[in-house]
Amino acid sequence: MKKIIISFFIAALLLCGCVQKEILDDVNLETGVGYDLVKEKIRGTALVPVYQPDKSVDNKTFTASSKLSRDFLNDVQRQSPDPIVTGSLEVVLFGKELSERGILDLIDSFQRDPSVGAGLYLAVVDGESKKIIQGNYGNRGTAIFISNLIRHNMLTKDVPKTNLQLFLSDFYQIGKTSYLPQLKKKGKNQIMISGISLFKYGKVVDTIPGNKMFFFKLLVDNYSEGTTEVKIGKEIAAIQSVQSKNDFKLSRSPRNEVDITLKINAILNEFSGNKVTKKEVGEIEKKFKKDVERECMQMTERFQKQKIDPIGLGHFVKSKTRNFDIKKWWREDYPKLKVNIKADVTITESGVIE
Amino acid sequence: MLNWFTKKNTHSDVKGNLDSYLKRSKDYKQVYYENQKTNQRFCFSFLSSLIDESILEDHALPFLLDKPFEKLEDIKKIVSVADVQISNDPSLIEQKLFNGYVLMTMESDKKNFAFIAAQKEIVRSVTQPEVEFSVIGPKEAFVESLMQNVNLIRKRLPIKELIIEEFTVGSLSKTKVVTLHIDGIADPVNVETIKERIKGVQFDAITDSSYIVQMISDNKNTPFPQLLDTERPDRVTAILAEGKIAVLVDGSPHALIAPTTLVEFFSSFEDYFLNWILSSFFRLIRLFAVAFSILITPVYVATLSYHYELIPKDLMSTLITSRREIPLPPILEALFLELTIELLREAGARLPTKVGQTIGIVGGIVIGTASVEAGLTSNVLLIIVALAALASFTTPVYKMGNAIRLLRFPFLLFAELWGLIGIVFCFCILMTHLIRLTSLNRPFLEPLYPPRLADFKDALVRFPFSQQSQRPQILRSPNPVRFTPPEKKKKTDIDE
Repeated sequence: MKKIIISFFIAALLLCGCVQKEILDDVNLETGVGYDLVKEKIRGTALVPVYQPDKSVDNKTFTASSKLSRDFLNDVQRQSPDPIVTGSLEVVLFGKELSERGILDLIDSFQRDPSVGAGLYLAVVDGESKKIIQGNYGNRGTAIFISNLIRHNMLTKDVPKTNLQLFLSDFYQIGKTSYLPQLKKKGKNQIMISGISLFKYGKVVDTIPGNKMFFFKLLVDNYSEGTTEVKIGKEIAAIQSVQSKNDFKLSRSPRNEVDITLKINAILNEFSGNKVTKKEVGEIEKKFKKDVERECMQMTERFQKQKIDPIGLGHFVKSKTRNFDIKKWWREDYPKLKVNIKADVTITESGVIE
Repeated sequence: MLNWFTKKNTHSDVKGNLDSYLKRSKDYKQVYYENQKTNQRFCFSFLSSLIDESILEDHALPFLLDKPFEKLEDIKKIVSVADVQISNDPSLIEQKLFNGYVLMTMESDKKNFAFIAAQKEIVRSVTQPEVEFSVIGPKEAFVESLMQNVNLIRKRLPIKELIIEEFTVGSLSKTKVVTLHIDGIADPVNVETIKERIKGVQFDAITDSSYIVQMISDNKNTPFPQLLDTERPDRVTAILAEGKIAVLVDGSPHALIAPTTLVEFFSSFEDYFLNWILSSFFRLIRLFAVAFSILITPVYVATLSYHYELIPKDLMSTLITSRREIPLPPILEALFLELTIELLREAGARLPTKVGQTIGIVGGIVIGTASVEAGLTSNVLLIIVALAALASFTTPVYKMGNAIRLLRFPFLLFAELWGLIGIVFCFCILMTHLIRLTSLNRPFLEPLYPPRLADFKDALVRFPFSQQSQRPQILRSPNPVRFTPPEKKKKTDIDE
């Protein structure tokens, strides 16, 4: 008993210095950060929410420029009354110019910080990220606004799921390249997701516009709840996909052909015509199938031309091929790969009133 | 005035000594009578506080005065009291006098004397259980009289196998302690152990069964009680049938149950009156409440001091705004509130009922809101501490509830020192301690450890009675089968 008590006191004395106390109300929580390239230097803007007694949130930003992202945090610490901690970081934004130069060095610091969660949202900004970070969007704080905006669009709409974990996993995966959603400032206190930025070695090389995101998500994600329009003659039908599944198949030999089957269960949301009969539903299905196949085909061709692979075809082929040569794949095989897309569309509902 | 009696007696020393002591007490009486027929003189000596004088007047004196008798032996025939003993051993006198017997001596026969039983029974009537109240089920609780308590059990178990053995402990109080077990169902090893332990009790005055608990427990350096105490005769009956042993102490309205396990302290006897689904649900709620009550304040302190990353972002603004004006760090804030609650509880328990209620209200409302308004504690913590206190009251056994009250403080200390790791560390210490505990040499943590799957039928949840055909394994009953379950019938379809 004596031994236990003595060892406890020794442990208490020696170990209480090992953990650093960060009492919640005595630290500044950095919830969002934006990076831009200004005059060949990286300018970081840290967002710290200030909680008001009436539970509303004021947004305070600290800006500093430096060569490394960690250095930037040191500069910011010198401006802040309480220590700035990174544990509750929600979003990281990268300006367009910077993301075209490469953002890997910056992401590396988040990857190494144990207090940063893997569910951190990353996004590219069409323009300067500082402008978005400094905006005011509702009274729950800018960072929470942006992260909720991204999350809800990932869960229920057209944006494919990405976060720090998935971005890095795509990046390190052989035969796959990563992608991030792109934000755009729209009006004074409004932002929107304007597309998907496609990366090659940590640099943005291409962007998929907002109206094509639906097809992109069909290709890269297993579940899409997005909406799209189908034009039949004069009439327009709004289609909501409720379930989608993509399936890849590699041809036997020569192994240079991939069949992608997209199985889509959709519902008809809106139709500008008079009546939806079985005949119309059949037509819409047919047209929708054609649209999906065409759009996806264009997209894969575009990827092949750019030598990027957000779908992960390289990874897929690698997993099916012995002695896979990744260098040869990017140089010769991938541009020549034949991709066949087959959509299997079922419209399950067309409204209550028939 | 026992001169004529003591003078020629061989044991005159013993008696003279006793006599001189007793004369100093006011309630010691000696009365002389003469038989009307034979003029035989005789004397009654007794302690008036212990005997019922109406027994003497109605059942002994009329016969002794009117009917002729020559020898002491004769009075057995004429007196209408059943318990009359004749003896010539003066060493018995002290014991008998103090047990409420009347000592009768005759002038003609100085060697022998008779003891006539005339005990006064001051018995509180059987009342409702207060500590272990249940809405449904029997409403009888034990009282302070040992014989009355034995009666409550005996009439519920009218079998010859129910063995009731008596011991006397306490060098001054001479307290009667009885053990009850059902022969053939209780493990003889357990019965021997508890008898040995009771015989080994060395103390001067035993006034309650709680003394016995502390003296016969396996481990004395623990906040956890290792013998279950209950005031419900129905509960005692049920555990006797399981093969456990009960201990009753004269003067105590609480019976002890041994051996027991930790989970038993969180089962209320009302669980057996309710449907098994409901009682299982309530048991789980109680276990959750215990964990909640011990851990929630330490987790608050640990999270706010070390692990702000764990706080959901939607909760962040609530926590930060409530702590904005507080000058104290989380640990002092939590200790302040926890101590306030403990003070309220202690004050409420020590004061008379009516004053106690006022204290509860004053404390709860005034101190709580005032300290939040004064900016000493955050209102989030106030809610947490109040909920933890509420949860700690759900423990059905009062003594275990006290242990739970204490556990929170070491956890708080560790949470402050090392955050969540500290809590885990403290939990490990607690589990090590619990695993080492035994009750009557049987593992206290059973059926969790050692794992006994069969005993889970009546542990964290309670299975229906039809599935409890075996007595608990931990008790090693010589006759482990409670009943033979009927063969399962082949189910017939509804339309057959």
